[in-house]
Amino acid sequence: MQHNRPKITKDLFVHEPMKKRSAEEIEGPPSSFWKEARVRLFKNKGAVLGLIIIIIISIMAIVGPMMNNFHYDDQDLLRSNLPPLVPGMEWLGLNGENSHGTNIYEENSITDNNAWIGTDEFGRDLWTRLWSGTQISLFIALTAAFLDLVIGVLYGGISAFYGGKIDDIMQRIVEVLIGIPNLILIILFILILEPGVTSIILAMVITGWVNMSRIVRGQVLQLKGQEFILASKALGASNSQLIWKHLIPNVMGPIIVTLMFTIPTAIFFEAFLSFIGLGIQPPLASLGTLIENGYQEMRYFSYKLIFPAIVISAIMISFNVLGDGLRDALDPKMRK
Amino acid sequence: MKNLLFLLMLMVIIGLAGCNFGGDSSNESSTEDTIENSSENTGTVGEETSGKVINLTSDGDIPTLDSAHAHDGIAFTVLNNVNEGLYRGDDAHNPELAMAEDHQVSEDGLVHTFLIRDAQWSNGEAVTANDFEYAWKRVFEEVGHYNVMFETAGIKNASAIIAGDMTPDDLGIVALDEKTLEITVENPSALLNQLLTFPIFLPLNQAHVEEVGDTFGTEAETILSNGPFLLDSWQQDQGWVYKKNPDYWDAETVSLDQINVNVVKEVSTAVNLWESDAVDRITISSSYVDEYENDENFANVVRPEVIFMRFNHNHEHFANENIRKAIDMTIDKEGLTNTILNNGSVPLYSLVPQEFSYSPNEEVDFRELNGEFNQGSVEEAIALWEDGLSEIDSDGFEMSLMSSDDDNHVKSAEFIKNQLESNLEGITVNIKTVPFEARLENEKAVEYDMVISSWGPDYSDPMTYIDMWVTDGPANRMDFSDDEFDSIVAEANVETDAEVRYQLLLDAEKKLMDEMHIAPLYQSADALLTRSKIKGIVRHPSAPEYEYKWADVE
Amino acid sequence: MGRYVVQRMGYMVITLLIIVTITFFLMQLLPGTPFSNPEKLSERQLELMSAKYGLDKPLAIQYMTYIGNLIQGDLGLSFQSEGRTVISMIGDRIGPSALIGGQAVVIGVLCGFILGVISALKHNTIFDYGSVFVAVIGMSIPSFVFAALMQYYIGVQWGLLPVALWKDYSYSIMPSLALSAMVIATVARFIRSEMLEVLGQEFVTTARAKGITEFVVIIRHVLRNALIPVVTVLGPLTVSIMTGTLVIEKIFAVPGLGEQFTLSILVNDYSVILGITLFYSALFIFIVFIVDILYGILDPRISMGGGKKDAA
Repeated sequence: MQHNRPKITKDLFVHEPMKKRSAEEIEGPPSSFWKEARVRLFKNKGAVLGLIIIIIISIMAIVGPMMNNFHYDDQDLLRSNLPPLVPGMEWLGLNGENSHGTNIYEENSITDNNAWIGTDEFGRDLWTRLWSGTQISLFIALTAAFLDLVIGVLYGGISAFYGGKIDDIMQRIVEVLIGIPNLILIILFILILEPGVTSIILAMVITGWVNMSRIVRGQVLQLKGQEFILASKALGASNSQLIWKHLIPNVMGPIIVTLMFTIPTAIFFEAFLSFIGLGIQPPLASLGTLIENGYQEMRYFSYKLIFPAIVISAIMISFNVLGDGLRDALDPKMRK
Repeated sequence: MKNLLFLLMLMVIIGLAGCNFGGDSSNESSTEDTIENSSENTGTVGEETSGKVINLTSDGDIPTLDSAHAHDGIAFTVLNNVNEGLYRGDDAHNPELAMAEDHQVSEDGLVHTFLIRDAQWSNGEAVTANDFEYAWKRVFEEVGHYNVMFETAGIKNASAIIAGDMTPDDLGIVALDEKTLEITVENPSALLNQLLTFPIFLPLNQAHVEEVGDTFGTEAETILSNGPFLLDSWQQDQGWVYKKNPDYWDAETVSLDQINVNVVKEVSTAVNLWESDAVDRITISSSYVDEYENDENFANVVRPEVIFMRFNHNHEHFANENIRKAIDMTIDKEGLTNTILNNGSVPLYSLVPQEFSYSPNEEVDFRELNGEFNQGSVEEAIALWEDGLSEIDSDGFEMSLMSSDDDNHVKSAEFIKNQLESNLEGITVNIKTVPFEARLENEKAVEYDMVISSWGPDYSDPMTYIDMWVTDGPANRMDFSDDEFDSIVAEANVETDAEVRYQLLLDAEKKLMDEMHIAPLYQSADALLTRSKIKGIVRHPSAPEYEYKWADVE
Repeated sequence: MGRYVVQRMGYMVITLLIIVTITFFLMQLLPGTPFSNPEKLSERQLELMSAKYGLDKPLAIQYMTYIGNLIQGDLGLSFQSEGRTVISMIGDRIGPSALIGGQAVVIGVLCGFILGVISALKHNTIFDYGSVFVAVIGMSIPSFVFAALMQYYIGVQWGLLPVALWKDYSYSIMPSLALSAMVIATVARFIRSEMLEVLGQEFVTTARAKGITEFVVIIRHVLRNALIPVVTVLGPLTVSIMTGTLVIEKIFAVPGLGEQFTLSILVNDYSVILGITLFYSALFIFIVFIVDILYGILDPRISMGGGKKDAA
């Protein structure tokens, strides 16, 4: 130990430029976070099934209205309130009989162009309306959910991350926003912007993101004090690195669950808006308005409610199992 | 230490929740009276042994029972059954003397003298002429919703008081003594007796009103009754109970002992209550008509409410008569009422609805006398459309069709859009549904192209529809102005000969409809389910709507 | 701590004042008048009525008058239900709303909690799928459809419970059940997701390694941590459910607050809008405050008012 030790001089050291990105780099097999997440997601059968159903429904939303030769606003009073009829599928109840058991097709001698899932009182083909409605509802729900997500995560994240005065002020703003009746905001919004899809989405987002931001804030507050964040800070991670690489992935679970709630809420909220004359402008259809109308007539024309309800439930269930799968896949703690 | 504080906080929350329940139980106990009442009686419905009770539904709460402020059908019906004015509509909707025993008219038709009959308020005091004088003048002091009815009835100085040139004390009503009431009118009016059945003309017991002060009309306990029924209880937003008034002057005519009214706002709920025998009479929506139309309890009743489209007369295209006619004629109104609405509504090809008004002597329906307007095939409509477009050198246009959020109005709009676009070349219709208040604001400002509107009568005379359209009239709202029409209406307003006046009204409608200044759509109807044992509920064409005085249970 | 509470109370008052102010002025932008049956009112009549209710004065004066009355505890009179005070309207209607809402929350939290815990502990088994399914159904079927089906079968067909109306306690059961579906779904989903998250963390493994029984691990470590996001959602949810839900109240003909609020906005009943807004916001802000404090109980790492606290 006490041999001739070469003198240590400064010039023996070469300055290694600080690479911000590699500050926390872990040596090991270069498996990226996203790749691993994908592998884990595809292992989850439920999530894959959910994904497939969502894809099928999305495709149907585009293709469905073109599958027969009706337009969503083709009215024909002679075809008013036709029950569903699909030749070969009579055993499923798609037999053209109304709830008294009379075959309306035979009674009105309609032979061609049977309505697969029935028609409404205007004689409009519900199959076409169902899928064009799905198209609109999915668009509204996904856009609104996405905007909620972006605003909510940013707002909640920033508020909790910086804490102190900033958090206080930002939370008081949220309280004010929640306190103002959002129906007033929505009515004003829609009256100024003309009723339509854009104004509905914007009206939903004005206050819709608040819930998301509260969830994110709660989670970030909880994570902030944990050791791995301190460690990362000690290693010189910048604030944005901390947020994006540590906090966000760790709050992914609740975010996704909240997001899954946002989608049905958005679909039904749109229906509520239509109900008070502020939603989708007729004759356009949405899943919400179809269910709303179907509900009014569920006793006698149950098919008007059943089919949109099936589609909406399928969308919800798929989004949920997919969300669950995503949650597991994205959870950094699940990494082996 | 801190945990203890948190625990305290938790207990506060739990305590708060407890408060809510506590507040609620007191609320419940107050409702228990009515449960007992109704459970005592529901069992006896239909049994002849004890009281005769019926259970009705209402689609809303009573806003107020102050007759000066009442402004909607629900309050009018309650007031009409609990109180009584000089006249009451009989079962054929004709005014018959009620609180007044006798009605003398001076030769010039300007001074009306009423003799008040011996009747009493539910606090035992007698109904006097002064009760009328007080109540009528109070309407102006209170700025009542419907004080325009005094103008319509032509009560002396009413217009000047509304305009602010005179005080309520100058109103043409004087109590000569306890039982003699003198009313002075501006012009002799054929409508006066009919108008006096309207609840704003009800008497009020001055001492009582002043005693209860601000709470007058807000609770069942704060009103007095002089009519066929007493208002026994009124639970906000839940319902109210009428009981037979034993002190009513004509009490022997009243057969029902009790009427329970429940507030039910959803039709599906009302249907379920009907199915479980909890209520005896409901109004159903078109989606239930197919299910019940063969039921013995089912009936369709037309109402005098008209649904029509206003054309914006400032719009270049709608100023053209042929275009207006083409649009009106294209719409398959029968398809709209029979297939789309399916609730008994009838197609409307005119302004004044059917079964509303009958000519003074022959008793012929107004509708029959004037016939229908602008009926024709789609081909004729297309011809008119092409004529119209070429007249103004246009090859079509895009327009908006405004509608309020009413279910039937929206359905009509969807139907009309499709009808117009698929038949008339070059037309594009954009539906714009808005909340009712927004529609009304747009109408008043005439900021729309076409708008689906509705109008219910204020009184049982065609004039209630016709004077809407005079130049700058408050209900015109489409900048329509026609000198000839205005002069016919002005003439009818002062005409005392009923026959001549009726002819003027017919002419006025003809003038308006020959040029299709509005596009009538349909006359509303209600699909009703009423237990067949209930007889004799009278429904007047204009407010006050329902009359339970003659109702009975078999 | 004491200082923190006082400070928050101060904030609460300021927040409420801002809410009332913004709502007051926004409300004026809504189309139409606050008077009912406006279709039949002439311009002259509108003028007279506006003058009577002081609506013809400049907005600033109207605002000052309102705030002045508010400080004295007077919320004014309703325009639509003439003569009735806003306070009595809220008072009459909050009872039924709070009862069915409160019951729904209790049922929802209990059932949701059990479902959530089962499905997290039996992750990826038939129990898990079963309870996830129940939760998803509760969330994806619109409450009005659920309510209508219950009303038809339980009320009309089987006659087990009263169909609708509001007469005694039994009338509150069905609306509460219908309303609880959504709460069950929400609580179950969050509990499950959070518990799964917590179960994977080191301190749980450590606790297990220390030989603590599984039951104690779950109760003391897992649940406590899993409750945080549930509390975050549940607070506001409780407020919104207990202050009334339009659809359920309408279907079961319950005389509650939810319907009143929507209606008052659609018909511009100014004083009622402001009164209910104030009531609702005050309750909401208070609950948020309580939730923030609950964070402290549930998660000792969060401290109040910046004061340092030791980790548990």
